Amino acid sequence: MEAPVLGRSALSGRIPVGVVTGFLGSGKTTLVNKLLKRPEMNRVAVIVNELGEQAIDNDLVEVSSEQMMLLNNGCLCCVLRGDLQETMRDLFIKRRNGEIIDFDRLVIETTGLADPAPVMQTLMTDTMLQSQYRLDCVVTLVDAVNGLEQINTLSEPVKQAALADRLVITKTDLVDETKATALEAKLQELNPRAPVKRAVNGEIELAFLIDVALRSMQSRLEDVERWMGPEEHEHDHGHYGHDEHGHKHLHDTHVTSFSLRYKEPFTWNSFSQCMEVLATLRGPDLFRVKGLVNVAGHKGPLIVQGVQHLFHPPIELDKWPSDDQETRIVFITRGIARDTVASLFSAIASIAPAPATV
Amino acid sequence: MSQGTSPSSLSPASQAAQTLAFNMKLLAQHEIEGFGGMGEGVGMQLAPDGRRIMWMAHESAPKNFTAIDVSDPRNPKFVVQTDLPHGDMRSNSLDVVGNTMVVAYQTKKFDMKPAGFDMFDISTPEKPKLISHFDASGKFSRGVHCVWFDDGEYVHMASGAADFEPTNDKDDQCYRIIDVRNPSKPTEVGRWWYPGTRKGDQAAPPPRLKLDGGYRAHNTNVYSRQRPDRAYVGYIDGGGWILDIKDKSNIKPVMHWKNSPPFNGFVHTMMPLFSKNLIIATEECVRDNLGDWPKMTWVLNAEDETNLVPISTVPLPSPDSFGKRGGRFGSHNLWENYSAKTAWRSDDIILATFFNGGLRAYDLSNPYQPQEVAYFVPGTPKLSPKGAVQINDVWVDDRGIVYCQDRFTGGLYIVEWTQ
Repeated sequence: MEAPVLGRSALSGRIPVGVVTGFLGSGKTTLVNKLLKRPEMNRVAVIVNELGEQAIDNDLVEVSSEQMMLLNNGCLCCVLRGDLQETMRDLFIKRRNGEIIDFDRLVIETTGLADPAPVMQTLMTDTMLQSQYRLDCVVTLVDAVNGLEQINTLSEPVKQAALADRLVITKTDLVDETKATALEAKLQELNPRAPVKRAVNGEIELAFLIDVALRSMQSRLEDVERWMGPEEHEHDHGHYGHDEHGHKHLHDTHVTSFSLRYKEPFTWNSFSQCMEVLATLRGPDLFRVKGLVNVAGHKGPLIVQGVQHLFHPPIELDKWPSDDQETRIVFITRGIARDTVASLFSAIASIAPAPATV
Repeated sequence: MSQGTSPSSLSPASQAAQTLAFNMKLLAQHEIEGFGGMGEGVGMQLAPDGRRIMWMAHESAPKNFTAIDVSDPRNPKFVVQTDLPHGDMRSNSLDVVGNTMVVAYQTKKFDMKPAGFDMFDISTPEKPKLISHFDASGKFSRGVHCVWFDDGEYVHMASGAADFEPTNDKDDQCYRIIDVRNPSKPTEVGRWWYPGTRKGDQAAPPPRLKLDGGYRAHNTNVYSRQRPDRAYVGYIDGGGWILDIKDKSNIKPVMHWKNSPPFNGFVHTMMPLFSKNLIIATEECVRDNLGDWPKMTWVLNAEDETNLVPISTVPLPSPDSFGKRGGRFGSHNLWENYSAKTAWRSDDIILATFFNGGLRAYDLSNPYQPQEVAYFVPGTPKLSPKGAVQINDVWVDDRGIVYCQDRFTGGLYIVEWTQ
């Protein structure tokens, strides 16, 4: 029997982080405060912008500092003052020192005007944070009353929605169904792979918001689909070919979502060159990239994720989740068309084709 | 903030009742029938009937050793527990090779018995059968503190001897090699001691360190498969030694690593990672509440075995916090890459115990910057006299299951890595 390899898994050995974002008034505080009180949150640390009164009422057990409080369900609530990176580092160190609860999940509520991209990028660039935490899910809240107008007139809500893994429409009790449906359709256009749910008064099932990203080196097909979103069409492909489906280009916001599939394996060099060119030349418009990449010489797929110009170091899964060993990459971009990316891949592949698999 | 200070106003204490875990998960705890104070001797036997039996020496009287069936790590089962002949002694250390077990005996004072080691046939784990006793008692001997038995042929040990009169009472245990190829008649074949610690030595007695832990042998590791001609010896206040044991009757020093002062002595283990040319050295923490802080786990570059160069220490959590958790906080034992079939081995990941700092695992891919990759710190065990767990020793089996023990009441913790 081969000796088991012990060490830290790049997925299960890191604390999952959920990011709750949404424009001003979208109901983040309401949702987070509701979440805080749930019994399942007993091993969760939450970084909030402010602590609403409804969360505190008699639930406050202990104040370990002016910034941190333990609620009586065991949830650690931490009010963000200053730097998020600093707060996250501090939480991990305090956890390791046994000074706070042994939390095994972190939830971050961003400010309403915040661009969630830097929060996500923090987990890719900060050496200490990157080795202790991993991004699990970006949840974007959109207010049913003002959401549609905000998306049509402002750039922040568009980006917030485009970056999301999960979308939650709030305050649907205050609008008629037509308006809610219109917003839902709009959101699906913007980000067709992110499932959308409605929440009234912050009530939403926790399962919708957690364990979205891959969390095990032995991930299964359904885990991959949960993270990347289901593929909406059948595909055709050839040598470095790509499918022509699933292409949605929205002229009003210029946000596009599409996927590429490749049958032949890449060399890591050619794949990373493609990404490098995109990130260097169009970083700000490359909202989100998620991929399962077949790289020659690797046993399992490489998990690739990027937010704008920054990419997480690739993680190799132990094995392919199914017989389907084709590379699949999902892009959410602002004004970068699918064909543009596809031709870039073809061009680079023609210069440096991958060796045939053995 | 300087190390060793505990400004209570600035940092909250580590909450000892709380279990802390990262990348490790408790599968089961066995309180060893109410005698959960375990020493630093652990060995896993693959019994003739296929069971995996974990043998553990107790930290102190009245119990001698206990065997637990860990074939199903989620459901450990009690097998056998033995008593010491009297209360002024301890076993503390044991090793298992095949179906043979060696158990150390150390008395509280000089000139008491039994002091030495016992060899048992454990083919039937329920009924350990005494094969022989090696007597190491004497006018200036407390017997054996620690045994290393890994090749089935020789017992390497930290022991006093009837003919060993130390220059200082604290320097009573030297390095002795006992040939047990005929298990019914163990015979001493080699001995080495720190120059100046035996009466009659030409060398002057060594200078006492501030905390005076003594100049004694502790762990005497020999990896027969890789380096049958080397012993890696922690010599407490006498630092770490590499000894040439090619000729067991004429042991010669190869290297002496000395880090105290400025540190506080008590070098416990010197463990080579052969493929990496490294030696991991631990210093044992022996005082509560940071009384001898810092006690560290060192990474030494051993490219030239005659000149070990410290290149890093493994990162420990804050003493400001753990110093208040209760009991000892600092380095102690390592997972020592035993050659047993049942043992997991690695030169990349080391596992170490830190008393109230629990069990911690480090990745040495970059030995200049060891990365902590997992830890398990159980909450205070029931009836713990220190108010916090005191994880003493660690064993890792070939299934990747990790076993660690509390020094007082918690018994055995069986842990798996998060997958």
